[in-house]
Amino acid sequence: MLAALCVFFVYPALSALHTSFYDWDLLTPPRFVGFDNYRAIFGSGELLASLGTTLLISAVVVAGSSLLGLALALAVHRPGRLAAAARSAVFSAYVVSWVSVGLLFLWIFDADAGIVNRALGGLGLAPVKWLTSTRVAPFTVALIVIWKVTGYAMVVFLSGLAALPPEVQEAAALDGAGPLSRLRHVTLPLLRPTAAFVGTTSLIASFQLFDVVRLLTQGGPVRSTTVLVYAIYEQLFRDLRVGRASALVVVFFVSLASLTWLKRRLFREEEPA
Amino acid sequence: MAEAGGVADAVAGGETFAASSASSRERHAGAAAQTRPKPRVRQRFCSLANDTESGPAIALAMQRRALLRSAAALCGTALGCSAREAPAGRVSVPFWFTYGGRNRATLETLVARFNQAQTDVWVRAIFQGDYYEGLAKLRTALAAGAAPPLSHVVGEVVPYLAAAGVLEPLDEYPGARSLPLHPALGQAGSFIGGAERPLVIVPFNRSTPIAYVNQQHYDGPAPASWSELQGVARALTRAGRFGFGCPIDWWYWAALVGQAGGEIVEPDGNVSLGGAAGVAALELWQRMVGAGTMKQPPGRDYNAWEQLSQDFLAGRVSMIWSSTAFVRYLEETADFPVRALPLPHGQRGAVPTGGTHFVVLKSAARELKQAAWRFVRYLTGADAAAFWSRETGYLPVTTDAARALEAVGFYAQHPNYRVALDQLEVARPWPWSKGLFRVQRELVQPRLEAALLEQLDAARVLSDARQLAREAAL
Repeated sequence: MLAALCVFFVYPALSALHTSFYDWDLLTPPRFVGFDNYRAIFGSGELLASLGTTLLISAVVVAGSSLLGLALALAVHRPGRLAAAARSAVFSAYVVSWVSVGLLFLWIFDADAGIVNRALGGLGLAPVKWLTSTRVAPFTVALIVIWKVTGYAMVVFLSGLAALPPEVQEAAALDGAGPLSRLRHVTLPLLRPTAAFVGTTSLIASFQLFDVVRLLTQGGPVRSTTVLVYAIYEQLFRDLRVGRASALVVVFFVSLASLTWLKRRLFREEEPA
Repeated sequence: MAEAGGVADAVAGGETFAASSASSRERHAGAAAQTRPKPRVRQRFCSLANDTESGPAIALAMQRRALLRSAAALCGTALGCSAREAPAGRVSVPFWFTYGGRNRATLETLVARFNQAQTDVWVRAIFQGDYYEGLAKLRTALAAGAAPPLSHVVGEVVPYLAAAGVLEPLDEYPGARSLPLHPALGQAGSFIGGAERPLVIVPFNRSTPIAYVNQQHYDGPAPASWSELQGVARALTRAGRFGFGCPIDWWYWAALVGQAGGEIVEPDGNVSLGGAAGVAALELWQRMVGAGTMKQPPGRDYNAWEQLSQDFLAGRVSMIWSSTAFVRYLEETADFPVRALPLPHGQRGAVPTGGTHFVVLKSAARELKQAAWRFVRYLTGADAAAFWSRETGYLPVTTDAARALEAVGFYAQHPNYRVALDQLEVARPWPWSKGLFRVQRELVQPRLEAALLEQLDAARVLSDARQLAREAAL
């Protein structure tokens, strides 16, 4: 087990760190360049731009999936077949492969033939450049991710709701608290650890975003959807720059490690004293 | 060159693109598109341990090499399981190709014919995605010392691969210097100074950009100049329809640069990006897009090519620039007559060539390289080259093949196929520049898109790209 861990995780990570100090194109001998690759990705603005895009999409995804997941969980947290069917329907999107999702939304958001723009046209509204506008495309990508991961958020919130001690709710009700008041002052505060989990897992998932970008926009238009993982892909497979790609990988690793640390800290804060 | 062509090709073939974006990039034709009528949417060893390297560099290279070799071996095993095994006694030659759709089927037909036509060599054609995906795999395999003996690559990357020392010099192979290649399509004609260098490539799927017009919308003469092009585009534009469409792609920009009298890389190696000609080319697009007479297809690389084909087929664009590799696909798919036209002249007539060239990899065993060469000879034979051209739309790469097609009246019956062939008279060779691939992929292509979408100053955009080229010593 330890050997597998080393071969498949530790060695590649250390190798990426090592390679990030070299200029290498796979064909000619690697050349040690020190921190040049890091200087290049910072200096060109590429890193900050792709990090910014990643954070923008992530923020929208975290907020959207958390709120929507919570709302759906509250709506279907009840017995009955209808609620069960609704839970299954919402969660089903989560089990669909990212490639399928990408192809599906490629058609849905097609500028001319897509069902969304055709519906807008039917209502007399102007078509939206869902995937071809630098301003709209990042949000379109975020929207697709929200659609995909909300089911997971909902299920987690449902488990959080199920774990709430009923006596607290009952006590609040006896004290005269109405449904909205109980939601605001009892349910939501008790769901904070669950919300923190949903938020951080959504954040990490959106940091790993690649498939949809590859299929729908290839990072465009004008790099507006070039998230960090896609930037790594471009450096390696398009530009033949293994060193720079590795430098991006290192930054990506540090980013994810920071998020994980943040997540752990949030959870620790939520633990009872 | 290759690039463009490739893309086109890929696309042309309908191959890749089609359905998925990624794939579609095959520029070369191919792939996706051609395969079947698409729903009108409406609806791609090295020298790692070189003696001159430092110790750490060698160690790094060796570590990677071992790992990559293992990975490549695993891939090779997996691939081998799915490919037909060579009959006993034959030399098995893995051939990595990047055509999809109709082009793939056509190539596999030729492979089967070659395998049946002799008893010494067995070619195993292995699909490797689009041009760029195939190139990425090839580089990885080269680094791992597990490259196939034969593959094909876009032209822009040839000087880079040659400089890396991974391509087999072909001069001493039987008949290599006497292949009856079209002068514009072999290494000598495809690259400036190509004849003075060791022969490392043999053309197969080659193309040029041409114009396609919906004959129901326009039956006049081919626009002979940029101003005529703008005039025709304006006249054909209607509500819900663009008169003209062109992928915002390096290949077409290179055509315009050549027509405006510029060179992307000067004879002294300076990356000038055409100077004023480069700016004029970009500004032409900006003017036409700004005037609403030119459709700028969404998506990148081959995705944009494919999207534009769909717009054309659906009647949303009257005239498009695309690769000759799409002739057959567009003719068969359109529900209106399609006419192919040559590109206009600017200060001069000029078109780039595109598509890919066969390369024999130096790292392969001698026996495999010799066997691979036999296959290359077969494909450049008159019959095979003519068959390939007729079935795809790519150019017949040999004069024999072109004569054979002419002799049977093929061009008389299919004049659209002849446009690119005639246009080779003004084909411009590419610079033999090691950095050409990076210039294309990293410096120019992304900036073309940005300049159009964000209406950036063309001179500034290209000036920045030249500065980056100088800094990177490309």
